[in-house]
Amino acid sequence: MSALFRLVGIGGVLAYRALFNWTTPGMFVGTLLVGPLFQLLFFAYLGRQLQVADDRFYIVGNAVLAASLACVFGGTMAVANERRYGTLGHVLLSPRSRTAIFLGRALPYAGNGLLIAVVTLTGGSLLLGLHVPVAALPGLALALAVGALACGFFGLALGALGLRFRDVWLVSNVSVALLLLLTGVNVPARTLPAAMRAIGQGLPITHAAEAARRLVAGQSLAAAAPALAAELAIAVAYAVLAAVLLKVFEIESRRRASLDAV
Amino acid sequence: MLAVGTLLHAKHLSRSPLEITIALLVPVVQATLAVYLFRSGAEPHRLLEAAVGAGLMGVWSSVLFGSGGAIQNQRWQGTLEMIMLAPRPPALVILPITLATALTGTYAMIATLLWGRLLYGIRLDFADPLAFAAAAPGCVLGLGMFGLLLASTFVLLRNANALANTMEYPIWLVSGMLVPVTVLPPWTNPIAAVLPTTWGARAVREAVTGGPVWPSLGICLAISAGCLVLGAVSMSYVERRARAAATLALA
Repeated sequence: MSALFRLVGIGGVLAYRALFNWTTPGMFVGTLLVGPLFQLLFFAYLGRQLQVADDRFYIVGNAVLAASLACVFGGTMAVANERRYGTLGHVLLSPRSRTAIFLGRALPYAGNGLLIAVVTLTGGSLLLGLHVPVAALPGLALALAVGALACGFFGLALGALGLRFRDVWLVSNVSVALLLLLTGVNVPARTLPAAMRAIGQGLPITHAAEAARRLVAGQSLAAAAPALAAELAIAVAYAVLAAVLLKVFEIESRRRASLDAV
Repeated sequence: MLAVGTLLHAKHLSRSPLEITIALLVPVVQATLAVYLFRSGAEPHRLLEAAVGAGLMGVWSSVLFGSGGAIQNQRWQGTLEMIMLAPRPPALVILPITLATALTGTYAMIATLLWGRLLYGIRLDFADPLAFAAAAPGCVLGLGMFGLLLASTFVLLRNANALANTMEYPIWLVSGMLVPVTVLPPWTNPIAAVLPTTWGARAVREAVTGGPVWPSLGICLAISAGCLVLGAVSMSYVERRARAAATLALA
């Protein structure tokens, strides 16, 4: 069991340091901390001008969404960069469980996403004057963590496509843009067509944002629990999907001898 | 040389399925977002502005990431030394790349307008179609010249993409591409006033809704020309410095 924890924990951290492109301080702050904060301000001011919703709607929603950038691109890098750096074959030669190797990689990204979400929420609240009730903080931390975890596994499922498709960055870029639209973070879900709402229900962030908004509005953790449970279920579903896709595409790419094709 | 170089790099960028798909799909998603926001808000009659604004955001993204990557891509392709060896000022070699990124950025504008027309029935009722036909390419040209200044500052940075990633939303915000600058805090006004993106976006918006297009377009091009001169001087300086420090091709 300790070997498994070592593989998941230390292996995940090593892979994070080796494969995540944004670990240098300049890249980390610029891309992952400043970028999401300006995204929050952009939509908050747009929402103010159009009178779509109040600041709280945008601050909380965009703070939860802030985790997605690190998690979606991180998950993609966790797999696609192995191929890019020519180390994928070495990883797959290991006799250890693929599921443990790759699912462990999502955890540092989820932790990273949580940090970014907290910084974005704090920055947005201070800049725009949102008061978050102290009693809501534990539940809010839980909502941000579950959202980041769901995003981490979602990113890993997208990263698995990197074993099969060459332009996996295209999928990541479009996915991040779609999360902006479909999760109800910036456009109130009730104003979206039914099909878009249905897709949004199956994406990470949607339920975590709903739970976080309830908590910041002063509702109890019990009131936010159904949304938190839905987000957790989505996280598990994407973890299973990522494991299956990684297995299937590994077999397929070994059969087609396309493992290191870039 | 500028025309041939711009055409060459535009063709080069247009050969990449990744670049083209991102240039088309992401702005369309942003346009959809803008349309639903404007519809659900107090401004449902401003859908054409939303589509044009989303298109301009796409042009800026293309220039920003294109300029950020202009030097880095040449490094990765192993062609940076070759183009810097050319017996021409470095600005003349890099400017076609940044102009090409602005040119391919117009795919975003075309995509958002077509998307809005075909899917949401947005009528392309420009207040002044002739002025729009001048303002849109003028804005693109201005952004391309601004891109040279960005590219010159990115020469010395190994991870220029970090700066590029950081500058996307701030410029969208401060330039009033979708959010009017009047709703922003007053301290942002001086920053907005010196950015060519602000005046370019204003010129295009005035062509759509009505207003004095030409002064805004003129200011956009004047600031962009200033950026071009600054970029050219800066490019020559940093190129010489990078050659002296032997860091030109360090990826």
